[in-house]
Amino acid sequence: MNARVIVMCVLCVAAIAAAPFIGGDLGGETGAFVLTSLRIPRVLMACMVGAVLSLVGACYQTIFANPLAAPSTVGTTAGATMGAMIAVLAGGAIGGLPGGLPLVAVFAFLAALGVSLFVAALAGSGRARVNDVLLAGIAISLATGAVSAGLQFTADQMQLFAAVQWSLGHLPQVNYRGVAMIAPFVLVTLAVLLAQTRALQSLAAGEDRAHSQGVNVPKVRGIVLGVGALGVAACVAWCGPIAFVGLIVPHMVRMGVGSSRRVLLPMSVLLGAAFLTGCDTAARLVLPGRELPVGVLTAGIGAPLLVWLVARGRR
Amino acid sequence: MAADLELIGVTVQAGEKRLIRDVSLRVKSGEFVALLGPNGAGKTTLLRAALGLARCTGSALLNGRPVREFSGRRRAGLLAWLPQQALVTEPLEVLELVAGARYRFAETRAAALEAARQALQRAGADGFVARIASTLSGGEQQRVAIAALLAQDAPLLLLDEPANHLDPGQQIAIYRLLGELRAQGHGVLCVTHDVNLLAHIGGEVRVVGMAGGRARFESAFDAAELAAHLGELYGVPFDALAHEGRRVLLARGGP
Repeated sequence: MNARVIVMCVLCVAAIAAAPFIGGDLGGETGAFVLTSLRIPRVLMACMVGAVLSLVGACYQTIFANPLAAPSTVGTTAGATMGAMIAVLAGGAIGGLPGGLPLVAVFAFLAALGVSLFVAALAGSGRARVNDVLLAGIAISLATGAVSAGLQFTADQMQLFAAVQWSLGHLPQVNYRGVAMIAPFVLVTLAVLLAQTRALQSLAAGEDRAHSQGVNVPKVRGIVLGVGALGVAACVAWCGPIAFVGLIVPHMVRMGVGSSRRVLLPMSVLLGAAFLTGCDTAARLVLPGRELPVGVLTAGIGAPLLVWLVARGRR
Repeated sequence: MAADLELIGVTVQAGEKRLIRDVSLRVKSGEFVALLGPNGAGKTTLLRAALGLARCTGSALLNGRPVREFSGRRRAGLLAWLPQQALVTEPLEVLELVAGARYRFAETRAAALEAARQALQRAGADGFVARIASTLSGGEQQRVAIAALLAQDAPLLLLDEPANHLDPGQQIAIYRLLGELRAQGHGVLCVTHDVNLLAHIGGEVRVVGMAGGRARFESAFDAAELAAHLGELYGVPFDALAHEGRRVLLARGGP
């Protein structure tokens, strides 16, 4: 393993380990409560969401052979937004859900999964070329976006406020139960996607070449899109759309340690976890007395960072 | 392992346009078939149909079974392909890239890397094992692509202009390597524009001419009538010249 990979691993682990101890006095009983019941579960949540978004981004960029592909490319985020909007509007009528599940998260999850599984099924059918799948993802994003806009038009002020808050993207104040609820989705997504490493490495040399080398391209595409959507839908449902993580982290890994999928995919998991944890910690601290939504920060940091990375790579 | 690729009455349609009409062709282990024809004749499409990449009517059979019924790994164990398009668009290390062609094998990473190293050596590309493939010249990339083809270790090889981007010395080296592979029992179906390179294969070589999506002739490479066939195929007369005991086929310019 080369030195750059080791350095990146150490930095990521150190950043994650340090995050719960940053900010505020942790002395006394209150401090111990803040650390173990508030900050640690929140860091765990940030790690899981960051890891899933980044790994899915890296995998989508490979199967679409497009460096601009991201977890939102196949309509997952737009679907979740539509589901959240429906939940916000229908909230009064339906009331609470059994087990105290948040209505918005459940609706966002189901809509996100439904929309992206449709795209995944198209990709897995073997009838569509890769650009058709990409176009289908964009079309379905626009269509669900239109439905969301239409729903917003019928909403009252309070409902609109709730919808906007969700759409900013934030890591909720979760307890361990919340962590345990999202963990199975995250673990399945990470395990299944990392198991596709060899196929994705072959796909990096082109779709047709991968076919001739024995890769069942439609099947791999269907698995990656379907399982990716499952993980992303679970994350987005809880946290709202957290922009740029899935797009930029794989590029940061590439610049640091290269494009080999054997390194790119696991390092995207680790750097994604560290990146979102870091952003969330900063979001906690940047405004005195209140929290900035982390989605605002990831986009605020991510966009200029992406431009800088690209400009640096061109030299 | 013996293998047999048989195309029977293959027709490929793209929308209204027929790219290939009713082409039949057979390549077995130990045979070398060269596929010649003007641009747009359907040569590449024929290779894609053989791989199951282009939907066709008629039959594309691999060891007597339709190619599209094979699992990816089983097919890749019989049939490897050197496509015309550039190897990579993103920065990947040469060794990684060639090892990626070992997808069909259930083997350790160390074994895949060792096989990739050997393939690179055979293709004369061992000088750039640790280089980033996208920074190589066209000719160097072509040799890496050939290494990837060899790493797949399939008995039948489909090659789409393997000497593309190579200088004359490298072109001859590649055709000699193809001759060696055939002598070792590989079956080769090779699309080429340079008929004279086939002299470096050695042994029996069959030439199939395609134009307008149809097979126009089949001839032995040594046959005297090949020049006349080529003249008809390309629409320019060909002269057969004798040079140091070898026949050279030359397209005659002008009217």
